[in-house]
Amino acid sequence: MGKPKFYDFCVHAIPDGDNTVEQLATLAMHFGYSGIVIANHSDKLPQSPPLFISTNVFEIFRGIELIEENPSKLNSLIGKFRKSVDVLIVHGGSEAINKASLENPRVDILNHPYFDKSSGLNQVLAKAAAENGVAIGLTLRPFLHSRGSRRIRLLSALRANLDLARKYDVSLVLSSSAMSCFDLRSPMETLAMAEICGLEEEEALEAMCTVPEKIILRKHLISGHIREGIEVLEECDYF
Amino acid sequence: MKRLLPSLRGKKRYIAFELISEGPVGRSDLVKEIMSSASSLLGDVISSECDIKILGFEDWKGIIQCSNTRVKETRASLAAITRINGKRATLHIFGISGTVKRATEKFLQIHKVFEPKIETKFKMVEE
Repeated sequence: MGKPKFYDFCVHAIPDGDNTVEQLATLAMHFGYSGIVIANHSDKLPQSPPLFISTNVFEIFRGIELIEENPSKLNSLIGKFRKSVDVLIVHGGSEAINKASLENPRVDILNHPYFDKSSGLNQVLAKAAAENGVAIGLTLRPFLHSRGSRRIRLLSALRANLDLARKYDVSLVLSSSAMSCFDLRSPMETLAMAEICGLEEEEALEAMCTVPEKIILRKHLISGHIREGIEVLEECDYF
Repeated sequence: MKRLLPSLRGKKRYIAFELISEGPVGRSDLVKEIMSSASSLLGDVISSECDIKILGFEDWKGIIQCSNTRVKETRASLAAITRINGKRATLHIFGISGTVKRATEKFLQIHKVFEPKIETKFKMVEE
């Protein structure tokens, strides 16, 4: 078994964050990531879609984090962006949005489902997430930037969600949700942080390596990409 | 006072790190921030078990000593640093070793410090 490939599945670049895609990518490469997803919030998209240059060592994926209050509008946004992005993330944080996104199999990840006084998930939603293959996104930034009572509340919400995810076999994705270069953390430190916060080592590894790879593979299957170099261009009836 | 016998001293690990920050950071500010981050994340009891000491820090690189049983906790508390003396910063760990000599040879001399000039570069573009 080779070295695991680490991915950071939620990084915000200009104009949402502070740094450009190149700066974030160089730093992530220096830290030892194999790829990042540039997922700006849908209300702060760049004017023109930037060109991402991916190499063999480092890949940059196109992503989006949909931010919307209204579930029916969210569904139309999903339909609008699904084809053009590799990874579709929903910015969770209210009951209606959590429900709408976990029940939609076209969504890849629901980020930070918790809202005040609730962890944001229950047995019904967890079951829906497992059925539809929507992963729960654990973002590191709030844990780094808060202290004291706020961090305690975040951690207990995380524990509650973890218990549900283990019980119903929901996949997890660990990402930094970085707004600038200074929010990025190297994979090993993210793992250490996740283990302190209550994840098992294997769960944390899976959340940074296996689940992201699966999500990318899923997108490739939709677009006809079979493996490197082989792609279905046109489907027709040969017999 | 007579020094403890080597076999009686606690086992240590040495963490080689680099600091990526907006501006120059003094050693004392770094020490203060690491301690406050550890006590906030882990609590005072576990931080005391980690036994964190900064052995050297210059030129954006340095070595931190910690207990060999609490490497993970130390790592997490180093990762939890976001600001040092009001300047945004992040601590990147090159690697961990059992002796200072090996940590210096294996990590500090080989690894190049990442541009600490991200922010300055960025500002220039903006202007």
